[in-house]
Amino acid sequence: MATPSSPSPAPSLPSPEERRVSFEREALVHLDSLYRVALRLTGNAADAEDLVQEAMLRAYRSWDRFTLGTNAKGWLLTILRHLFINEYRRKRRHPESVDLDTIEPFALFEDRQQQDPQRAFFDRIVDDEVLRAVDQLPEAFREAVMLSDVEGLSYEEIAKVLEVPVGTVKSRLYRGRRMLQAKLYDYAVSMGYIKGRST
Amino acid sequence: MNCRECVDHLYEYLDRELTPDLEREIRDHLSHCPPCVEQYDFEDLFLKFVKARGSAEGAPPALRRRILEELLDE
Repeated sequence: MATPSSPSPAPSLPSPEERRVSFEREALVHLDSLYRVALRLTGNAADAEDLVQEAMLRAYRSWDRFTLGTNAKGWLLTILRHLFINEYRRKRRHPESVDLDTIEPFALFEDRQQQDPQRAFFDRIVDDEVLRAVDQLPEAFREAVMLSDVEGLSYEEIAKVLEVPVGTVKSRLYRGRRMLQAKLYDYAVSMGYIKGRST
Repeated sequence: MNCRECVDHLYEYLDRELTPDLEREIRDHLSHCPPCVEQYDFEDLFLKFVKARGSAEGAPPALRRRILEELLDE
């Protein structure tokens, strides 16, 4: 007589310990990226830390809904950005209002080519100045530049995080980069690192 | 491909966002167009510069500790 086979065990939920370990391995490794983006969004370290902490906590609470193997960095950045828009940006006294289409693109290359073939320009600009210049970009451009140029997300990933079409990501990157070049150029001229364009 | 088209795709090329066919066309153009190469090199340098300078800073260690403690409390 055949013995009844033992019932297969019900799929068990991960233990709290397993859950925490997988979160640390898959999500917490992106802490630096989240912090850098938060710092550029909020403009100060205290708010950035609060924002990141809250985003990580929310991510942890919905960790069971995250599919392992998909893009955790993009998922976390989306949570962070929603939190920023819904809870932090409201506190600002002057909501940003810039007509993005009125901004003149500026090509640093065309100007630099005239007088500085060695590109010594870049060597003279310090880290802080680059981040200050990034901070001066309108938020829509700042986000795109950070996500692409600093955090290395693809256009598709950025489009998901920012909830805009890929074409919009491309144009924001183009304009944001050109604007960043213009700001660095102005800075370098003001510091006497390079000569300004003759008028 | 002419210079204008090449420059139009400059960032997509550097961001590795082009189809393999278009990427090949750009490479072909660059192989015989020094002015475009110079512009590409400059933008490439610029993007590497932003990446290096922008990612110099990471999260403070105290923040990591706070988050880890918070996870234990959950």
